[in-house]
Amino acid sequence: MIKIEAATKTYALGRGVEIAATRDVDLEVARGEFLVITGRSGAGKTTLLNLISGLTRPTSGRVLWNGMDLWALDDAHRSALRNRQLGFVFQFPSLLPSFTVLENVVLPTAFGSNRRDPNVPGQAAALLQRVGMAGRRNAYPRQLSAGQQQRVVIARALINCPEVLLADEPTGNLDAETEREIIELFGELQATGELTALMVTHAPHLVPQASRVVEMAGGVLRAGG
Amino acid sequence: MSPLRLVWKNIAGSAFRSWAVFLCALVVGGLLFSTVLLVRGAEDSLRLVQQRLGADVVVVPEGTGDRVETALLMGQPTKVWMPRQNLDRIGGVAGVAIASPQLYLASLANAPCCTAEMFVMAFDPQTDFTVTPWLNRHLGHNLGLAEAIGGSDVFVPYGEDKIRIYGSEIDLVGSLERTGTGLDTALFLTFDTAYAVADGSYTKAVRPLEIPPDSISAVLVQVEPNVDPRVVALQIAHDVPGVTAIPGSGLFQAFHTQAGLLSRIMAALLGTVSLLSLLLVGLTFSMAVNERRQEIGVLRALGATRRAVLHSLLVEALMLALGGGATGVLLAALVLYLFRNLIVASLMMPFRIPSVPSLLALAAGGLAVALADVALAVLLPALRASNLDPATAMRE
Repeated sequence: MIKIEAATKTYALGRGVEIAATRDVDLEVARGEFLVITGRSGAGKTTLLNLISGLTRPTSGRVLWNGMDLWALDDAHRSALRNRQLGFVFQFPSLLPSFTVLENVVLPTAFGSNRRDPNVPGQAAALLQRVGMAGRRNAYPRQLSAGQQQRVVIARALINCPEVLLADEPTGNLDAETEREIIELFGELQATGELTALMVTHAPHLVPQASRVVEMAGGVLRAGG
Repeated sequence: MSPLRLVWKNIAGSAFRSWAVFLCALVVGGLLFSTVLLVRGAEDSLRLVQQRLGADVVVVPEGTGDRVETALLMGQPTKVWMPRQNLDRIGGVAGVAIASPQLYLASLANAPCCTAEMFVMAFDPQTDFTVTPWLNRHLGHNLGLAEAIGGSDVFVPYGEDKIRIYGSEIDLVGSLERTGTGLDTALFLTFDTAYAVADGSYTKAVRPLEIPPDSISAVLVQVEPNVDPRVVALQIAHDVPGVTAIPGSGLFQAFHTQAGLLSRIMAALLGTVSLLSLLLVGLTFSMAVNERRQEIGVLRALGATRRAVLHSLLVEALMLALGGGATGVLLAALVLYLFRNLIVASLMMPFRIPSVPSLLALAAGGLAVALADVALAVLLPALRASNLDPATAMRE
């Protein structure tokens, strides 16, 4: 479903100095797979997710979605693909502060063809129920704990029924108990649907549901776990 | 969720930025509207009063041109006199087709005999071409004894059926169209009525109306076809001693100059304010884009296209500009309407509120400039935001 061919991403540091965040990465992810990407800080895990999602362009190599080169698409088509087929869970607080929980969950629909779909609020409510946040639908992000915010972000990631869920250290800012709850929630979501999940985490041992674990080190991908 | 909802949330979520843009648009829109309205209103008034007088040349006693112009435009009564024999001499100048005399009088203020202080113009029905055509069109006859017509602001006092001038009762038989000048508060009557009022004033008024014998205040001249009024004015000044002859094109020149000066000052002020607004709005949005880099990255990750980000910021700014500009125009209109008399008195300029279509066009112009100003200011930061690399933006 997702294929990365010899993807290298370098960043210019100025004065002609460049740093490679990923080097010749090859990766193939099958539909329904739960892939865990692990590695130390600065290993290139986030860059790999950004390459997969088309948020950053590889300096060399290709990123294919169902055989289609992401960077052969224009911005509108690439954005539409992210909107309809991808769900994101970030490490940092990514809810919009002036939006309520429910508004944050339906936010991705503002950029899709379902923006006027009358079923969207009902779907959002059902997702909030599923992540245990039904009672806080009218709360603002500042009124929620970090764990509650991540639950809302997960609901937001699922509002467009994506095929792929990308999670970049979703439990990085959470305490151990909440971390376990969130990872369990991921496992449940992934197991109950046909969702393909890619999760970056420092703690792969907490993800027993993972179908495969790979490790990034110095921008190079290798089989891990 | 509609994209407009997203825009509205951003507006509501950033009070400082929203107010800054709103207020800039308010000032630009309001200032442009009021500037153009004032200048246009003054120029309309000047044009209308020239049309109303219908004179190719106005002849007044030497050195009294400014006073007469101020009386006609601002309604400040004046009394100027020159020998009546000047009328015949002016009529005899080559190129003069009609020469019509006028008397400029003032009614008494705060006197039991009188309605209010008014500028009173007496004309000769035999030769007049200023009021008589209007009378023929609207009344079908000229004014009789003890009859008058008034400017648009002249009314019979409540509870009475006549106007009292120096104790004499005058029938107000019609009202002229508004000009925004002193003519709106002036009373027009015939020489016979003026002399009758003057005669009666010695017994009926607290102070008599004195009209020096064989005197007139001004002579309005129409020249023969294809004759240059400026040449005739020069000839009158040459042939008739002790008078100032002002060609129609030179009439109210001081006020035209004043309107031009006001126009230039306001244009400079508007330019400065527009530039400052441009800088302030541009800076505010640049700061906003910097603050919202991560948020913009998230929106791009959720599927927002570059164009959607650009549109979102532009629509946000334009909605604020529309609200601010419209409020500015409405406020300016309200202030000008409520304080028009004070403004007219302060600027020493006549002012006539333009027609509704003109007002709407001015309002649309004020709004358009406010929108353009804000759009220009926001364009660069919005383009920068839309071209942000989402991955880099989210990492910062």
